[in-house]
Amino acid sequence: MPSHPLRVAVVCSSNQNRSMEAHSILSKRGFEVRSFGTGSHVKLPGPAPDKPNVYDFKTTYEQMYNDLVRKDKELYTQNGILHMLDRNKRIKSKPERFQLCKEKFDLVITCEERVYDQVLEDLNSREQETMQPVHVINVDIQDNHEEATLGAFLICELCQCIQHTDDMENEIDELLQEFEDKSNRPFLHTVCFY
Amino acid sequence: ILKQKLIINKDPSLLDNFLDEIIAFQTDKSIEVKKFVIGFIEEACKRDNELLVRLIANLNMLLKDESVNVVKKAILTLTQLYKVTLQWLVSSKTLSEMQEACWDLITQMKGEVLALLDSDNDGVRTHSIKFTESLIITLSPRTPDSDVPKRQEADISLDKVPKDHSYIHYGTLCEEGKSALEKLLKFMVHPAISSINLTTALGSLATIARQRPMFMSEVVQAYETLHANLPPTLAKSQVSSVRKNLKLHLVAVLKHPCSVEFQGQISTLLLDLGMPQTEITRNTPVPREPRKRPQPALMEDDEDKEEPAPLAAPKPAAVPAVQSALDLTAEFLHPLLTPENVANLVLISMVYLPDVMPASFQATYTPVESAGTDAQIKHLARMMATQMTAAGIGPGEHHKRAQERLYNSTAKDILIKRKVPAVILGQAISVVGGYSEKPSATEPPAAPKRLPEPILPSAPTKLMGASGRKKVFRLSDVVQPLSDTQNEKLTSSAVKRILHSEKAIAQSGMSHIRVKLLSRLVTQFEGMMKEDVLQFILEDIRSRSDLAFSLLYQEYNTYLSQLPSGLLDSYDQCLFTLLSGLQEKPEQRDGCTPVATSQPFLQHSVSHFLSFQSRVYLGMTTLKELIVKRPSRQFQYLHVLLDLSSNEKEKVRTTALAFLKRMYEKDQLRDYIEKFALNYLQLLVHPNPPSLLFGADKDTEVAAPWTEETVRQCLFLYLSLLPLNHRLVHELASVYTEAIADIKRSVLRAIEQPIRGMGMNSPELLLLVENCPKGAETLVTRCLHILTDKVPPSPELVERVRDLYHKRVPDVRFLIPVINGLEKNEVIQALPKLIKLNPIVVKEVFNRLLGTQHSKSYFYLIFA
Repeated sequence: MPSHPLRVAVVCSSNQNRSMEAHSILSKRGFEVRSFGTGSHVKLPGPAPDKPNVYDFKTTYEQMYNDLVRKDKELYTQNGILHMLDRNKRIKSKPERFQLCKEKFDLVITCEERVYDQVLEDLNSREQETMQPVHVINVDIQDNHEEATLGAFLICELCQCIQHTDDMENEIDELLQEFEDKSNRPFLHTVCFY
Repeated sequence: ILKQKLIINKDPSLLDNFLDEIIAFQTDKSIEVKKFVIGFIEEACKRDNELLVRLIANLNMLLKDESVNVVKKAILTLTQLYKVTLQWLVSSKTLSEMQEACWDLITQMKGEVLALLDSDNDGVRTHSIKFTESLIITLSPRTPDSDVPKRQEADISLDKVPKDHSYIHYGTLCEEGKSALEKLLKFMVHPAISSINLTTALGSLATIARQRPMFMSEVVQAYETLHANLPPTLAKSQVSSVRKNLKLHLVAVLKHPCSVEFQGQISTLLLDLGMPQTEITRNTPVPREPRKRPQPALMEDDEDKEEPAPLAAPKPAAVPAVQSALDLTAEFLHPLLTPENVANLVLISMVYLPDVMPASFQATYTPVESAGTDAQIKHLARMMATQMTAAGIGPGEHHKRAQERLYNSTAKDILIKRKVPAVILGQAISVVGGYSEKPSATEPPAAPKRLPEPILPSAPTKLMGASGRKKVFRLSDVVQPLSDTQNEKLTSSAVKRILHSEKAIAQSGMSHIRVKLLSRLVTQFEGMMKEDVLQFILEDIRSRSDLAFSLLYQEYNTYLSQLPSGLLDSYDQCLFTLLSGLQEKPEQRDGCTPVATSQPFLQHSVSHFLSFQSRVYLGMTTLKELIVKRPSRQFQYLHVLLDLSSNEKEKVRTTALAFLKRMYEKDQLRDYIEKFALNYLQLLVHPNPPSLLFGADKDTEVAAPWTEETVRQCLFLYLSLLPLNHRLVHELASVYTEAIADIKRSVLRAIEQPIRGMGMNSPELLLLVENCPKGAETLVTRCLHILTDKVPPSPELVERVRDLYHKRVPDVRFLIPVINGLEKNEVIQALPKLIKLNPIVVKEVFNRLLGTQHSKSYFYLIFA
């Protein structure tokens, strides 16, 4: 078992639903976790598919919440967005963008392939300094509340298994294979260096 | 605590003071602490280069730590410190001896880390790859077109190493850098490489290509090879991860201005990996016309190729100054890839396709977008060339021979090639329906191929006959069994090497692993090894006892794992050899006791052995230890010792008795010993001595008469216990009454010592006298005689005897021993009876009377 707790980052596109759901569960289980989005903006569903609510990463969850309440309280209560924002603001004040975070992690978990690509691109474009490895794993999760919850539990289980390996780097390959078989979905996995 | 020290570290003036304290933590048990120490070493050395000389050896130790996490951290640090050291050392023209030694050590460590590319641990390999990357970059000159990250701008590289340095040779470093690259490339084509290692290596190569464009051709070639030959061990999702990485790194390389020469190859690869042409163009540094456009008319002949003239343009430049074998072969193949040839190849190879589409193929399949273009044909040629080169054929490899072959087999080769690209790349050629001229193109998609490997057998001759599987690695194909003797020789010399590397291993702190290794090896394999090892242990048992214990432990373990049918034979034998070896060496005898006492299990035979050795005392001591320290088998060992107490050899016997006497004082052992003694005593009532006494089987009665010898055997233990526990004397009396005359005589002779030991004040003895069982009168008389032989009788004794005489057995002979303790009138009364006894007794009576202090008062009695 690694002697220090894993430093985990969970990343999705807007740092609202999937990464926050996982953030919430992981921190409840005692992980040292942070969550991020990789998109250029934070997007939340709007009244129609082509009219999303767009915020920048500086907007706090609180502000978004208030904004949506003002716009259409019933709609956003019904589709669960307000509930989600409410949870989010209890976890941290505002969404964070992965590309802007210089903290070093042991494990980065992404929630869709596009995000995975962006994370890799970002990590690879950083200048290498310490050569400290970081493992990036992609777990595909559809962007809705139910899938986010299921996905968060899967991520949590995965993190727990990784945390309990004697030698993470030596065993992670096999572990992921097992998880693939068990959960019946493919995981992209790679390693980058800080 | 440690965090505080980190803060201290921020103040350089304190560094010196705390250095030793912090370094002392490196032997700490906690991995975290060790890692911290490594981090500290790194920081300290960066701050004050002089410290390198002192600390590098510590790092070296940590590099060999047993915890992989520590090793990994140490590798990371070495990655940094290697550069620091080099920079520091080249900055001074001449080096002190210390500095030279430091450089030598760091060079050696570098070698060790490179060797870790073959480590068993995935993570260690990953770190080793990164070290190699940094090493290659450091040990090669930076050129103007190098893409240097800002942070590393100040880093050392080969161009900053003066060529006339006194100790560090420019040439050597340059060579080392190149050989490191070779190692890395070789590592990457290993068929069983893990996906993480592969990913790491891909990234490293991209970094190298960007920072050292001089290596770009090697890198691109490595990418090509890899693309055509993904390791078969990767799982489906791993294949997609690796392909994703390959794409990413190819783009990174492509963006570099020096990639111009290789744009053709890179963009073909990217297309194969499913990247749209527009994106490739976007990432291409020098603006050019889109070079490849999927052409509906798939494969044109050579004439057609000229049509996309601009495409061909980059190619000339692309040929590196030195043409590799691959390039040669590819060029050679290019014109041969006519649609007809390719179609034939595809048709022929269809036979070898599996019935079901393998998952890995499905995962990686992408339609060939540029099928039929010149670039694609070239790419095809290159891929075939890659395979052929790998198989050791093709013009580049052996110009002449290959050419000959190729002519014969051109058609076949081509067939293969065509198929290969489609299959391997996972891009079956998607053909827009109507092109009848391109059968080749249409067919491949229908019959997907398995994996790239099968195609490799581009050796024309083999292709024909054998299946296309040549590339599949089968251990049995390349390995021949060793002969038995060879085997034996190799194993035993291997074991010997391990044995004799004692010192070297001890220095590196790995001796416990060596010990474990040796004992496992020796117990699991038969043969001479065991003797060697045992011999080795015996040469110096003091320092090698851990090996001995480990060996015994393993033997015992083997036995346990085979229960219930397992035999202890080899364990026994091992222990036996050890112990007897030990006893032959006087100076090491004291090693014996710990060896034996720490064993979980001692067979009877072994314990007997212990005691029968010439070194009786030592054996017994061991046995005693065993009894005391192994409560679970206490009685077993005790029994052995008890048996020994009637041994015919006096020395053995007396030693055993001495020990038993001591043990008799222990409550938990007392009963057992006593019972044993009494059992033996009871034997005396048998008419003949039981065979037990002769060490034979207990069942057989031996009709030998009792002898003095055998009687004594039964008595030794009992008699030595007697002075310790006077109550036992009654048992003797009862046995005595039942025993035959011969035995009685022997008993009377034997009891002298112990009875005297008891003394006449013993209440039990007095009780015996008082109760004197019928038939035991002689025994009692004898006791009385013994007691009063040297000293006058005590009043109590006299009292008892008097009682006995008056109340129960009016035998005047009882009175003799105590006669000088009697009252005068009693003596006078008894005297007449005494005088009637035989003359010898009478004489004795008078002697006693006269020999006492009252002799004068009695004197006249004689006359009376």
